[in-house]
Amino acid sequence: MSATRRPAATARRRRRGVERKPLFAFACTAVFFFLLYLPIGAVALFSFNGQKSLVVMKGFSLRWYRAFFHDQQLLASLRMSLEVSTLATACALVIGVGLALGLVRSRGRVGSYAAFIMLVPLITPEIVTGVGSLTLFKGIGMTLGFGTVTLAEVTFSISYVTVILRSRVAALNPETEEAALDLGATRWQALRLVTLPALLPAIISAGVLVFAMIFDDFVLAFFTTGVSPEPLAVNIYSQIRLGVQPTINAVGTLMLLGSLALIALAIVVPRLFGRTGGLEILTGD
Amino acid sequence: MIGGFADPTEGSILLAGHDVTGLPPNKRDVNTVFQSYALFDHLSVADNIAFGLKRRRVEKQELRRRVAEALELVQLAHLATRKPRTLSGGQRQRVALARALVNRPAVLLLDEPLGALDLKLRRQMQIELKQIQREVGITFVFVTHDQDEALTMSDRLAVMNGGVIEHCGTPEDVYERPATRFVASFIGTSNLMPGVYRNGSVVLESGQAVPVGRRAGLAEGAEVSLSIRPEKIWLSELTPGMARATGVLRDTVYCGATTTYLVELAAGTTLAVLEQNTARSRMEDRWSNGQQVELGWLPEHSLVLG
Repeated sequence: MSATRRPAATARRRRRGVERKPLFAFACTAVFFFLLYLPIGAVALFSFNGQKSLVVMKGFSLRWYRAFFHDQQLLASLRMSLEVSTLATACALVIGVGLALGLVRSRGRVGSYAAFIMLVPLITPEIVTGVGSLTLFKGIGMTLGFGTVTLAEVTFSISYVTVILRSRVAALNPETEEAALDLGATRWQALRLVTLPALLPAIISAGVLVFAMIFDDFVLAFFTTGVSPEPLAVNIYSQIRLGVQPTINAVGTLMLLGSLALIALAIVVPRLFGRTGGLEILTGD
Repeated sequence: MIGGFADPTEGSILLAGHDVTGLPPNKRDVNTVFQSYALFDHLSVADNIAFGLKRRRVEKQELRRRVAEALELVQLAHLATRKPRTLSGGQRQRVALARALVNRPAVLLLDEPLGALDLKLRRQMQIELKQIQREVGITFVFVTHDQDEALTMSDRLAVMNGGVIEHCGTPEDVYERPATRFVASFIGTSNLMPGVYRNGSVVLESGQAVPVGRRAGLAEGAEVSLSIRPEKIWLSELTPGMARATGVLRDTVYCGATTTYLVELAAGTTLAVLEQNTARSRMEDRWSNGQQVELGWLPEHSLVLG
């Protein structure tokens, strides 16, 4: 009897030592996630409310989704937001990737100063950038609207793309590009056929992040947009001032689904090309 | 500089008689096996190898044939569709080799290609590389910091120091008759003893005169170094024609096939002596540390270096 109990006792002791599960840490994490996702869950739940109330859940219906798809103004806003996000993300990626390559490879002072200036937009309060953009656009006589919002969002996003891409560019093996040149590729071919494919996962991550940031950006959009159509975030804000419509819950839930789809895409697409990850940077790997 | 990634500050580079000094890497008939292999991770093994041919717009059938040939040459045909990341170090090394060789360059540059491999694999790859070189008949320029590797791999060997070629010749020539003190100490081990050349002998700092025979081109009283390879010094069976010295055995280092003895000469200079542990020599009574021993070497094995 004692012979069979001894291993169990050792196992218990070991469990109490190093291998014990950190229950308190698990509990903290659980509470954190609960609080983090509670409001989002509430939005999703109330989007199916049969009533107009934002507090009491009564019955299940898709009426708020129907209302959204019949609200021409909201739909126009959604389309504008999607268009602005797509165009601005594309521009920011092109400029940001170029900047990252340039910053990593330039030696000497210009590079390090430029790298510092890159970081300024990240720490500048967005409202300052917003007011500044408005003043600039007005000053040079531009009409506020699609163009001005896109320009402002591009300016704001370049830094993020560059910061994400820069570490990846620095981690590239410089011999890989040399190998391409050695094998007869021109500089442009080496960039297109070797360097950019190697950066693709990071470019996708940066694209997803920046697209999401631009899509739900309010401050810059608010300052630089025209009257009609307004970007979705601005539109929702102005609706709230007139009294909260449950339609907004439906919009929010749809946006959430859209984001999830986007993230899934960012994970799946690189895998299809035989590479793992794509979101390593977002998940901190 | 051979590859075209750095420009020489002076002089020019001739490749098969043509000056290629100013040409960029992609215009040179040189391909390189990089130290880190520098494979393209997003392409399959076959696409890696095809990269150079595609840049030169080699026709599709020809391209497929040559890629298959190259894969065969490095024995990787079964891994053609794999991604480089899933391969072992030795396999990646072979992909890098095939990727460069498939273009049939005038010169293949290998920049410390075996540096990242462990010792056993390294020995194996050395032999394989030599075989492949004979098979394809392309000039290999092989850069290495491993002196043994340099001796085993090369037909012609150049020892460089501070950007200058100090000695260029066959491995035997470089080892047996090194041109400078640096070469003598860099390739293999040498016993270097400073002294002064006088009348057919080198007078060591201890005052002992070691006969080296008449050497043309050496001025009387010139400061020289006397160099003797450890394996050229005998501890027993000395013959009458040998130069001799006595010393005290200070240390014995047993290395399996060989034993190294450190013998301190009277003056405080220490010589390394390498003996094969053959059946015969192990049978004899070995010397113990602190014992007085007599050394000898043939005069033609002592080198006088300026």
